[in-house]
Amino acid sequence: MARVLVLGYGNPLRSDDGLGWRVAVELFRANASPDVLVLPCHQLTPDLAETASLVETVIFLDCSHKGEPGKILCEEVRSQSGPASFTHDLSPAALLALAAELFGVCPRAYMFTICGECFDPGESFSPSVSSCIPGLKAMIRRQIEDALLDTVGRQKLVS
Amino acid sequence: MQSAVSKSIVIDPVTRIEGHGKITLQLDANGRVEDARFHVTQFRGFEKFCEGRPFSEMPALMARICGICPVSHLIASAKACDALLAVRIPPTADKLRRIFGLAQVVQSHALSFFYLSSPDLLLGMDADPAKANLFGVLEKKPELARDGIRLRQFGQQIIERLGGKRIHPSWVVPGGVSEPLTELNRDAILAGIPEALAIAERTLGWFKSIMENFREEIGSFGNFPSLFLGIVKKDGGLTFYDGGIRIVNSAGEVVANGLDPADYPEYIGEKVESWSYLKSPYYEPSRYPQGIYRVGPLARLNVADRCGTPRADQELAEFHELQRTAVLSSFHYHHARLVEILYCVERLEQLLTDPEILSKHVRAVAGPNSLEGVGCCEAPRGTLFHHYKIDEQGLIRWANLLIATGHNNLAMNRGILQVAKHFVHGERMTPGMLNRVEALIRTYDPCLSCSTHAFGEMPLVIQLFNASGDMVDEVRRPC
Repeated sequence: MARVLVLGYGNPLRSDDGLGWRVAVELFRANASPDVLVLPCHQLTPDLAETASLVETVIFLDCSHKGEPGKILCEEVRSQSGPASFTHDLSPAALLALAAELFGVCPRAYMFTICGECFDPGESFSPSVSSCIPGLKAMIRRQIEDALLDTVGRQKLVS
Repeated sequence: MQSAVSKSIVIDPVTRIEGHGKITLQLDANGRVEDARFHVTQFRGFEKFCEGRPFSEMPALMARICGICPVSHLIASAKACDALLAVRIPPTADKLRRIFGLAQVVQSHALSFFYLSSPDLLLGMDADPAKANLFGVLEKKPELARDGIRLRQFGQQIIERLGGKRIHPSWVVPGGVSEPLTELNRDAILAGIPEALAIAERTLGWFKSIMENFREEIGSFGNFPSLFLGIVKKDGGLTFYDGGIRIVNSAGEVVANGLDPADYPEYIGEKVESWSYLKSPYYEPSRYPQGIYRVGPLARLNVADRCGTPRADQELAEFHELQRTAVLSSFHYHHARLVEILYCVERLEQLLTDPEILSKHVRAVAGPNSLEGVGCCEAPRGTLFHHYKIDEQGLIRWANLLIATGHNNLAMNRGILQVAKHFVHGERMTPGMLNRVEALIRTYDPCLSCSTHAFGEMPLVIQLFNASGDMVDEVRRPC
């Protein structure tokens, strides 16, 4: 069973917005470890909560529309109940909250984002985002290695 | 003294539906609701931009219409292409497409019932809007939220196992399906049946136990006479894949039966109104707008004589007992949706244990043999038609789509007027009034992006206008 889940999400038909999805597809193809599960998806949906509850660490990948284009950010994500008009699209914090409340386990989680520049219809990245992808992938690999060395990543909420 | 002008309310966006729209309520001089309109404010145009494409691309192209029910578009499109090929697809391919479609209904109905409507049913129509979501359900009845997630996952995983991915799979192709079912996948799907069945039974039991709390909503949520339209098997049984069109009236009498879906232009008219991108189809013999009809779960159970699976047949008999005539209140869409989930899970088990289901013969290959083809199936929200015309080179020259949500357009508008007349008073909308108007729309589970083919941002609003045309109130909620 996998210990690390990588969830890359976004719309690959909206230029930089597809960053998370495309990087996850590349990581999925390169991944040979049974300890790592990589899932590219268009958005975070509630049915991913159970999958998230089964691993020790979740790594989210997305493109942000705020900030300096091409800037990579990594921050820890804490669980928090979702938005007021929630339907079938969740924030990473809300997904963790669902994992904790429905399946009793909240994994440790990190969010990697690159600030995007272009969100118009299209299947290619802007130069500022494109140039940062190798660095982003290297950071994610290091995060996965660290997570696999950490044996107490999963915080059991319910026995 | 009352002002001599009438006023109107605007609700924008309507929340917890698929896609976005706007409602305007017109008030008379005494502040009573006089008229209501459901504006669908988005446009996409799939029928136009597919022109010139090879017909064999159509299923994969049309699946892009919707992220919730791509499988239904795949199936209707592939059936239209089967007609262009003029082939009968292999029996195993037929059964596999049925499995695919049933899985789609399970996951889509689970989304509608558990994610979008269960907050209204569990927390009440006057609940704090900030709590009226799945997290509110989680707080009050976590097992209901968990069941919803598990059931949707069950349907999604079947789609993924057969189609290779959950959203926009392209496994259904003209002439059949692209790959046979493996033993491994069949066994994995079968292993999930007992849990899915238990969830369906448990949720139906719970829903029936709370139905009495919604007497007022049952009486006023789209509770009016109309026709009901759906596909039935030759024996009158429920089906989502193929059969003849049956139409029943509000008394429950069959007014048309065994109509060939390919002849739909002979009995369905299509009207366009200037205030919405959503077409208003109507039953041609009754003319517009008297030819109002409903499709989807409520209509399917009203037109079907039986389901053909043991537990669903019991539930259908109980459902028909709700009213001596056809079941008229749109509130009962929820109930019908749950009966259909039960049917789908039972039927999935029947199909997956068919001795031929692992056969490798799953695709008929041919070139175009006909220049026109119609494909029809029952999507989760109702009857879906794809109609294509091609040239000698097999390029699409013309396409028309009749989408489930569009069939329900006239009924949704009439339902909004009824519920607004009952619950909206004065020039200000309370959260309870707003939510009831929205909840009526949710009973139909409309998919606006599916039915109008829009592109971009699409939230929905309620606006209140006076008789002079001045907007006196507007309600917008984050979507």
